[in-house]
Amino acid sequence: MSDEMEHRTPVSLANVRADDPHLQPAAKNPRRVEQVIGLLFVLGIACFIGFAVTYFLDAPAWTYGATLGMGLFLMGVGQVAWGKYLMPRGPFVEERHELASSETERSAFAAAIVDRGGGTVKRRRFLFGLLGGGVGIFSLVALIPLMRSFGPQPKGTLFKTNWKKGSYLVDSTGRRVQVGDLGIGSIVTVFPQGFENSENGQAVDQTVLIRISNEDVVTGKGRETWGPHGYIAYSKVCTHLGCPVGLYEQQLELLVCPCHQSQFDVTKAAIPIFGPAPRPLPQLPLYVDASGNLRSQNGFDQPVGPGFWERA
Amino acid sequence: MSTEVNTERTKKQALGPYGKLGQTLNELDDRLGVAKGGRTFLDKIFPDHWSFMLGEIALYSFFVLLITGIFLCFFYTPSQALTIYHGSYAPLVGQRVSEAFASTVNLSFQVRTGLLMRQMHHWACDIFVGAIVVHMARVFFTGAFRKPRELNWTIGVTLLTLAIVNGFIGYSLPDDLVSGTGIRIAYSIILSIPLLGTYVAFFLFGGNFPGTDIIQRFFFIHVLIIPLIILGLVGAHLFLLVRQKHTQFPGEGRTEHNVVGSPMFPVFIAKTNGFFFIVAGVTALLGAFAQINPIWQFGPYVADHISYAVQPDWYMGWLDGALRVFPSWETVVFGHTIPWEVTIPSVIFPGIIFNICYVWPALERRYTKDYALHNLLDRPRDRPKRTAAGVAMLALLGMTFIASATDVIAHFLDLPLNDVLVAMRILIIASPFVAYPIAYVICKELQGFANAGKRKTANIVSRTPEGEYVSVSAPHYEDDVHNELEAIPVPKFVVEPEIPESPGGVRTVPR
Amino acid sequence: MNNVRTLSLKRFHWVAALLVLLLGTVSLYESSAGAANNSPLQTTRSNSGTPNSSIVVKNKAGTVTKYGDGAIIYKLPSSALIPLGKALFEENCASCHGTDANGVPANGTAGAYPNLRGLGPATVDFWVVSGRMPAADPRSVQAGRKTGRLDAKQALALAAYVNSLDPSYPYIPTPNLKTANVSDGEALFSLNCAACHTIEGDGDALALDTYAPSLRHIPAYQVVEAIRTGPGNMPRFTGNLSDAQVRDIVKYVTTEIQHPNNPGGFGLGGLGPVAEGFVGLALGVGILALVGFWVGERQ
Repeated sequence: MSDEMEHRTPVSLANVRADDPHLQPAAKNPRRVEQVIGLLFVLGIACFIGFAVTYFLDAPAWTYGATLGMGLFLMGVGQVAWGKYLMPRGPFVEERHELASSETERSAFAAAIVDRGGGTVKRRRFLFGLLGGGVGIFSLVALIPLMRSFGPQPKGTLFKTNWKKGSYLVDSTGRRVQVGDLGIGSIVTVFPQGFENSENGQAVDQTVLIRISNEDVVTGKGRETWGPHGYIAYSKVCTHLGCPVGLYEQQLELLVCPCHQSQFDVTKAAIPIFGPAPRPLPQLPLYVDASGNLRSQNGFDQPVGPGFWERA
Repeated sequence: MSTEVNTERTKKQALGPYGKLGQTLNELDDRLGVAKGGRTFLDKIFPDHWSFMLGEIALYSFFVLLITGIFLCFFYTPSQALTIYHGSYAPLVGQRVSEAFASTVNLSFQVRTGLLMRQMHHWACDIFVGAIVVHMARVFFTGAFRKPRELNWTIGVTLLTLAIVNGFIGYSLPDDLVSGTGIRIAYSIILSIPLLGTYVAFFLFGGNFPGTDIIQRFFFIHVLIIPLIILGLVGAHLFLLVRQKHTQFPGEGRTEHNVVGSPMFPVFIAKTNGFFFIVAGVTALLGAFAQINPIWQFGPYVADHISYAVQPDWYMGWLDGALRVFPSWETVVFGHTIPWEVTIPSVIFPGIIFNICYVWPALERRYTKDYALHNLLDRPRDRPKRTAAGVAMLALLGMTFIASATDVIAHFLDLPLNDVLVAMRILIIASPFVAYPIAYVICKELQGFANAGKRKTANIVSRTPEGEYVSVSAPHYEDDVHNELEAIPVPKFVVEPEIPESPGGVRTVPR
Repeated sequence: MNNVRTLSLKRFHWVAALLVLLLGTVSLYESSAGAANNSPLQTTRSNSGTPNSSIVVKNKAGTVTKYGDGAIIYKLPSSALIPLGKALFEENCASCHGTDANGVPANGTAGAYPNLRGLGPATVDFWVVSGRMPAADPRSVQAGRKTGRLDAKQALALAAYVNSLDPSYPYIPTPNLKTANVSDGEALFSLNCAACHTIEGDGDALALDTYAPSLRHIPAYQVVEAIRTGPGNMPRFTGNLSDAQVRDIVKYVTTEIQHPNNPGGFGLGGLGPVAEGFVGLALGVGILALVGFWVGERQ
């Protein structure tokens, strides 16, 4: 079909005669094609009615889409077939008019802007400057409510969590974690007591508590008392992009972030040994009080989570 | 009796040769003056090469997005306020979830055809962005972005950006575990921007993550702001297309100063309308049979929960892949942190890519020194450098896209995860440098064969007296509709070249 | 486009050479990485010490007064199975774990294989009944679930015997799922399990050469055993999860994960956006582009 088109010279629509072969349908047997298209339309209508039927019969969910989709598809194929095989097959040609206007038009256009406009500006240069300045200042000032009213300034928010000296470690149900709760190789997500249900608390304070031995664990210099009875606590907020680092492999002693697979060595102060994370997870210093509850000696010694400009 | 007939005929004559409809058209023209412009419009010729249909896939999937989106708007609650889920999906009953999540689950389970509309909406989005990319590739490889269509190219690249952004915002609206993780990552990316990052993040989210405002703000952006901009830009895109007329491939009867194809009315309208139905139909069938984004299985977003194997939707995959492979470089200068491992792959890298796209027409003009108007398209093989550059870019983006699935690849192919990541680093850097020469050589090679890629015609090979081989494609026979190989009879006589006599009887061959 | 052109041979051996070099380098790297295998073996995990307080409660004399909160029934395997267990152990396990089950094989060095003493019957039962032990490849980084050489009864016998050498907890669990709350189970699964096993329960590759297995085919009691004993790299969830909570997680796994609700159509393997992207591009855009090929003309 396309080969035949190549041998028909395109003709303009304007002066085509009624008996021109370009106006003939492309199909060799238009009657047959018409019947097929008619069948497609009938099937499409049947599908549409089927859609209504499935809807009112509360049929399984897939039947709605199947009937609607098949109906649309069949009607579409029928229309395309009509346009392709039964309508004038062409090809037709149309001249492109020059996009560019004539020289006189262009001069007049340029004159209107440059001469008339430029002249106006030249005569009232001072006023124009004030107008321009005013519009410029307006555009700056108009941005202020659009942006500033949206939210608070960051100030020190990103530097603080709710962990303080003596905070009780509680799990997501609010139950305090005791020193005998976890076996070696166990992990639980903890929060400072009182913040386990607040959205902000969950986002910022979330901490993983891991037990890696029965004896005290030292993860680095100055952290000799931070890991009583083998319990270590690290911020759960990944230092790469803030995903919760909940994936713990107990024999490799690695915390893996599920988002981009940064791997943190739990025995060495959660230093990242692989992946895009740049900094170790901040460690929460722990101690065990007289009743056997696990509590924090202090808050984190650095901001948790990903890096930002003000973070020193 | 005859008077009745006369009245009939005079009435008919009074109506004019085009009858009642013609009268109505005249009335319309009286008021709006549409006849001249309307006829010009109806007579417009559209070249109908199949590769010009790709933009229509994008256009019609956008219409499907609009229609299904309107339905969804009636049932979705854009609020992060917490509520107890009491619907029909047992594993969530009694849990504290956001209104946005609860309304989406209810829409999926309790509203008839709700799930179909949701899935159609999501599939249409994937198809929308995919079709834009394919269409953009077609425009790039055929050089349709050249003068006078640079503005349309710019509009198109902007549409791609907006489609991607709106898609990300849209699938984040249900506030489920998987998309909520994506929002957390987006927040951290904004934080990483030097100087302004924390301010922009706090303004956009109304405070620290997660805040209570973002879903509502996303809803407004997704439903009103970006769709309005897209509608406006699509309108401009189509207006320019109609005003400048579509480009066409060179061929018989086609010149720089005409358009050859089928008329707008009735042929093009029939085909394009049919195509709209087909696009909508395929989207509906996908929405019926292929489950997408089953948020009830993901559960609500809780800030300390996370799932493994959380990739973003495919059109964000290239950013996720870039974030995974980038080394952990972070510098602290004068008390300020610049997280390069975030800023480079997610801010600078996409910025460079999109800017390359934006300036490409100007770059190519400068490089080829070609400032002429072009209405005829190039075959990609005829511009091997441009084609190879495009293939190299696609290879780079394709590799970063694949890199977003390192864990899935490692699991499927039973390879160590760390090694897959290192391999992806190598592939990402190497792929453009490998793809460019391969594409270039293939183009050059294809240029040599007149009918490469089609069914072959016979080549008549003859040898000149100088010893050079010359090959000419044989013309196909009139009846050889499918260019099947039919033996061309070997000429019975070969015309021997004239060889001048040389003195001394030695035969010389003219050089 | 019938341009006349000189027929000459193009040589692009250099392109082919570059490709071979690249592929060769990558494949060499891959194969060497597999062979080198510097990931740690499944190491011995020392006894965790005192089982946590909320599961096993002992009185001052040291006798157990309470085990669990009733949501899961724990039972010691019958001592009648011990002789069978001893015979099976000597036949299948002693060659690696040593005749005393302490990880010292006859001709080997101490610590080469895990010490099985004092880990409780549930640990041994889980490894054997899931087919992970006897190990198909003792040097692999992680043994996978497979059809076991030993059936469930034999696994129990082994558990009984090994436990008798150094009795400990946990015992063989049977969860009572009738009163389980699947909604609590979903929330607990999301918090504790999804990070490795994915929220759909399909499992995925973890660091180095380890992986979290799929949960689609695991029987209910084995879920409890895995949670309580923490096999391999999986953490052990002891006192931080009560029996009722573990039972809820098991209910969620055996219903929603193993019989997912997919009203939207084919689940596409539960792979999330990766699979959806492929389907959307290949099926969606692909089919529509093919239709466009029909709608339009070829030149």
